[in-house]
Amino acid sequence: MMSFARQANIIDYSLSSLWRRRFKSLGVMVVFAGVIFLLASFQMTTKALTNAASDILAFAPEITIQKMKAGRQESIPLEYKEKLAVILGIRAITPRIWGYYFNETSGANYTVLGLDPFSMPLGDQLGEAIDTGALPLDHEAVLGQGVFAELAGGGDAVIFSLFRPDLSLKTFSRAGVFKAETNILTYDTLFMNLDDARDLFSLPADMATDLCVTVANPNEVQTIAKKIAALLPDTRVVTRQQIQKTYQGVFGWRSGFASICLLTALAAFIIFAWDKASGLTPEERKEISILKIIGWQTSDVLTLRFWEGVTVSTVSFVVGYTLAYVHVSFFEASLFRPVLLGWSVLHPALRLVPSVELGETLLILCLTVVPYLAATIIPAWRAAIIPADSALN
Amino acid sequence: MTASFVALEDVCKIYNQGQPNQVRALHNINLVIAANSMVCLQGASGSGKSTLLSIIGCVFPPTSGRATIAGKALSRMPDRFLTIHRRNTIGFIFQHFNILPDLTVLENITLPLMPLGIGPGARKERAERLMEMLSIGHRSNFPARQISGGELQRVAIARALINDPPIVLADEPTAHLDHTLSLAFMEIMRELQRAGKTIILTSHDPLITQHPAVERIIAIEDGEIHVP
Repeated sequence: MMSFARQANIIDYSLSSLWRRRFKSLGVMVVFAGVIFLLASFQMTTKALTNAASDILAFAPEITIQKMKAGRQESIPLEYKEKLAVILGIRAITPRIWGYYFNETSGANYTVLGLDPFSMPLGDQLGEAIDTGALPLDHEAVLGQGVFAELAGGGDAVIFSLFRPDLSLKTFSRAGVFKAETNILTYDTLFMNLDDARDLFSLPADMATDLCVTVANPNEVQTIAKKIAALLPDTRVVTRQQIQKTYQGVFGWRSGFASICLLTALAAFIIFAWDKASGLTPEERKEISILKIIGWQTSDVLTLRFWEGVTVSTVSFVVGYTLAYVHVSFFEASLFRPVLLGWSVLHPALRLVPSVELGETLLILCLTVVPYLAATIIPAWRAAIIPADSALN
Repeated sequence: MTASFVALEDVCKIYNQGQPNQVRALHNINLVIAANSMVCLQGASGSGKSTLLSIIGCVFPPTSGRATIAGKALSRMPDRFLTIHRRNTIGFIFQHFNILPDLTVLENITLPLMPLGIGPGARKERAERLMEMLSIGHRSNFPARQISGGELQRVAIARALINDPPIVLADEPTAHLDHTLSLAFMEIMRELQRAGKTIILTSHDPLITQHPAVERIIAIEDGEIHVP
């Protein structure tokens, strides 16, 4: 009880002490909260992006086959399907057209996805990614949110036209719009059936850009991929796991690069905090010597400094973390989006769901609050062992 | 009230012992101060009177010899216990008052009570009694920087008395006061002595050294008690 009352008194004094040095305290808190804001925003954004990518890639084909020539991808003949008939364990092979359409008006690249969802296993699951409307029939397309916003131009984009390579127009009606949650992959996408995509790109009827393989047993994906590669040496065989690894790798590399920049900021902050905390003014030294001679123990002075540090770091942490949450949730992580999402002309306007995980939060806490407390307590200890008689002189 | 007295036997104080800058501040001090008395330590600057005041004030123990303050021997007493003994036994009044200018009068006075775990209500009650006694009650919520020198010293006196210590030490208390305020200060000290406190002052000021309440003058010269 006595100890609790003592702590309460010292906390009371530490708060009034912070208030008396409010401009210095506020300066430290602003910088501290800024560093936490940057680190937490970055951590939440990276986590939200990788989570979103993982969730959505669950719908990607287990194996994708692309024909290569001179080290570059080219159209793959549908007759390759026949060559794979000898491999046991393949459940289905679905041709796909994956291409890019350049919209000269907006300067954006759209991703065109041509599939026949009705003839592929689990094709109907694609419908789960569509917000309004249904899977596309002939001369229909499902639009990503970004494409829809551009083509609609304030209207509803029920009917729109795209140019074939010979500049003739091909008209589509909108079958639906992808859900915002899938923006990371579908924002710039136009999804249509295989024949329409072929027609748009003027591809021959017996060609596709790649073949999507579904296997009966997911445990055999790697084995089957090796067999396909052996059977079709002029192709590139990519598994879903590899694509996922690539995404993780891309975000990992980018987040690693940005982390180095942020850690530099963190280091600068620690130096700043150390300087601020250790640079005791003559008034502060005098205050400590007065407190000591009137009966405060060294441990009382350390406790006082500890509570000051806890107050500054807790307020800064809560403010910085809250701002980071708001930044990621409501401002779509606008500070980090260019770093993390890369090159696309049509930048996805992501509706990110910030990921607040205990482990990650504790990591940020350890990287910021602990060094700050150390930067506060150690100089305070040095100051607290000032001989009490210095107040006499 | 605990019988409070000061007894020093062969007390020596050496600063930076064993270092090239070693200084012998006190040498073979033998001194007894009776409880409920008022004495004045007199000496030139550097004579050792502040060091003697620090030992009597339980700020640090002597290098050698025996110092017994209010019934407790200080020699080899760890700093932690020295602080507790000082807190319970000694009230300090400093030459420059050593009041924290940004705190209010009330906050300054109650500062020694904070680490004792005494709640705000009890702290205020104790402080109000002292402020009333010292006629500074109307300044309770004023920041210390806004009050006069005489009031500042009364704040320092109130802070020294807040723990009801048996011994009050005042280091050059009238050095920054005019004649009237110095007389008022000595009257307060006389009242405290009447209330049972032991008062130990350091001063050159004749107003103090010749004051009728001062029972004894102890002259310090080159770290030793000078017997005329």
